[in-house]
Amino acid sequence: MSIVKLEKICKNYTLGKTTLNALKNIDLNVEQGEFIALAGPSGSGKTTALNIIGCIDKPSSGKVFIDECEISYLSSDGLADIRAGKIGFIFQNFNLLPVLNALENVEYPLLHKKMAFHKKRKLAQEALESVGLGKYARHRPMELSGGQQQRVAIARALSTSPLMILADEPTANLDHVTGTEILTLMKKMNLERKTTFIFSTHDQKVMEIADKVVRLWDGEISS
Amino acid sequence: MITLTIALRNIFRHKTRSLITLSTIIFGCTAIIFAGGFFEDVFYKMRESYIHSHTGHFQIFRKGYWEKGNSQPYNYLIDNPDEIISHLQAIPGIKFITSRLQFSGLISTGENTVSCIGMGIDPGYENQDIPAGANLRKMSDAMTLEGPVIIQGKALTKNNPYTVMLGKGLASSLGITAGDPLIILTHTTGGSINALDVTAQGIFMTSSKEYDDHFLRLSLVTAKKLLHTDSVQSLVIMLDKTEDTAGVKKALARVFQDKKLDLELKSWDEISDFYRHTVNLFNRLFLILKLVIAIIVILSIFNTMNMAVLERTDEIGTIMALGTKKRGVLSLFMHEGLGLGIIGGSFGVAIGTALTHCIARIGITMPPPPGASMPWVSEPRIVLTTVVFAFMTSILTALVSSLYPAYSASRLEIADCLRHK
Repeated sequence: MSIVKLEKICKNYTLGKTTLNALKNIDLNVEQGEFIALAGPSGSGKTTALNIIGCIDKPSSGKVFIDECEISYLSSDGLADIRAGKIGFIFQNFNLLPVLNALENVEYPLLHKKMAFHKKRKLAQEALESVGLGKYARHRPMELSGGQQQRVAIARALSTSPLMILADEPTANLDHVTGTEILTLMKKMNLERKTTFIFSTHDQKVMEIADKVVRLWDGEISS
Repeated sequence: MITLTIALRNIFRHKTRSLITLSTIIFGCTAIIFAGGFFEDVFYKMRESYIHSHTGHFQIFRKGYWEKGNSQPYNYLIDNPDEIISHLQAIPGIKFITSRLQFSGLISTGENTVSCIGMGIDPGYENQDIPAGANLRKMSDAMTLEGPVIIQGKALTKNNPYTVMLGKGLASSLGITAGDPLIILTHTTGGSINALDVTAQGIFMTSSKEYDDHFLRLSLVTAKKLLHTDSVQSLVIMLDKTEDTAGVKKALARVFQDKKLDLELKSWDEISDFYRHTVNLFNRLFLILKLVIAIIVILSIFNTMNMAVLERTDEIGTIMALGTKKRGVLSLFMHEGLGLGIIGGSFGVAIGTALTHCIARIGITMPPPPGASMPWVSEPRIVLTTVVFAFMTSILTALVSSLYPAYSASRLEIADCLRHK
């Protein structure tokens, strides 16, 4: 089943009198349970593509379908509901909320779900334990290493059991060993939970783990 | 709940900055409570000293006196004061009712003659023997709550009718001291001239320099003799508490109607133009002060919240990416503003009331107010309505100043926020 479908997506940015074409007529189809890498050098459009798939940016033209629903005409609240219900995010800089501890960070996306507090806490605790950080529940992000922070971010993305998780260069700010651990963990979650992962990278070793690699070059899919 | 948690934790994230912002709110709140307490004390002392030294809580005249009594005072005398008093004195809240008879004339030492206003009073009611004493605070309190204070000699007594008490300024104009002989010269109610030899029993002082410069007090019995009348000019009602004024006024009006009394009633606030104008002026000044404080607090919180939005742009992007809606972001920053307002307001109320209480105990010596000759001691009061106002202002200003930064935060584009470093 197709969970993401992009049809002739263009994204243009206007910088003064210059127009930059970040994406040019992109077509993409992602099936449930896939582990896909969007590969390409800096400025190739990886992050822009992920942003459009993640409903945090709108295309200049073209159609986006998430879980077979076209999102182009949704309001900002409608898009927020899709992000809250169907998409998990992992960021290059981890983007944990510094005033919340690990458990609260994982619990944050559950805020938008209608369920009892104790159930939210239980789900968050389980997600945190699934990434091996059960003992660090009360630690604030600044008390955790980069690898641990990214694990918390993965637990946060998993906590709502989303349809897909989007990861923007999740290993870019980690050393090689930790980066490999994070990718291994993502792959494990993909296999165990059948959660779709779409991540961007420009690291050849990372691409090797992906089921499918979509190469972007200058805003276009090159293979 | 988590919004409140995040908001509160963010308040204390930048301790120094939050402390400065909270200090501004606390200062503003304290300033309002203290200034409000100071003004209230001015009002209280001015009001009570006017009531106890001059006007009483109510004055009753014959109908028409208020309009024409100045030019024809003896056409509006009250002939049956005891009967009227008997109708009124049972009204709850009334401390006593006494009669007054006022006249203008001349007072002379033989060598020196000046014009004066004489006021016949009942020494049994209106002339407590209050010695001046050296303690300014005690003297100020006595003047406020008990009426004129004797700065030289003794008060009037019923047993010695041919004595007078002179205001400080009047005595000074005549160049006399207590015990000196004087002659009072005036017109009787019939229009003939009458004079009376009296002794200056004492010299008094009130909160009004103008009153002290022109007034002398003598026994009502003596005043009646001097004016050749058995009538009085006005009845003065003193209450147990000034706060009862409105209630007693209604009761008095009912009795006037029931007994068909052809009289007019004026309460202290209707008589004291100076007090009314002073209150209006001070209230206006207080309003300006409150506005200035509110603007300072608003600008301070606005700056803090704007900085918070700028510094946390990437966090705003993150929480929006995680599904938080625009109104959720708005709510988060409004909660932070509200938190600042509540914390600052609470400390402001605590510090403001404690400081006002301490200063009231110590007292601040103030220079003589306009129209007075004696310094006074300010004892700022803790006024519940002002305390509540100060607290609510803290919260309201915090919310108002958070509104624009919170709105700006909620309008940010997620992708732009996530790119922000």
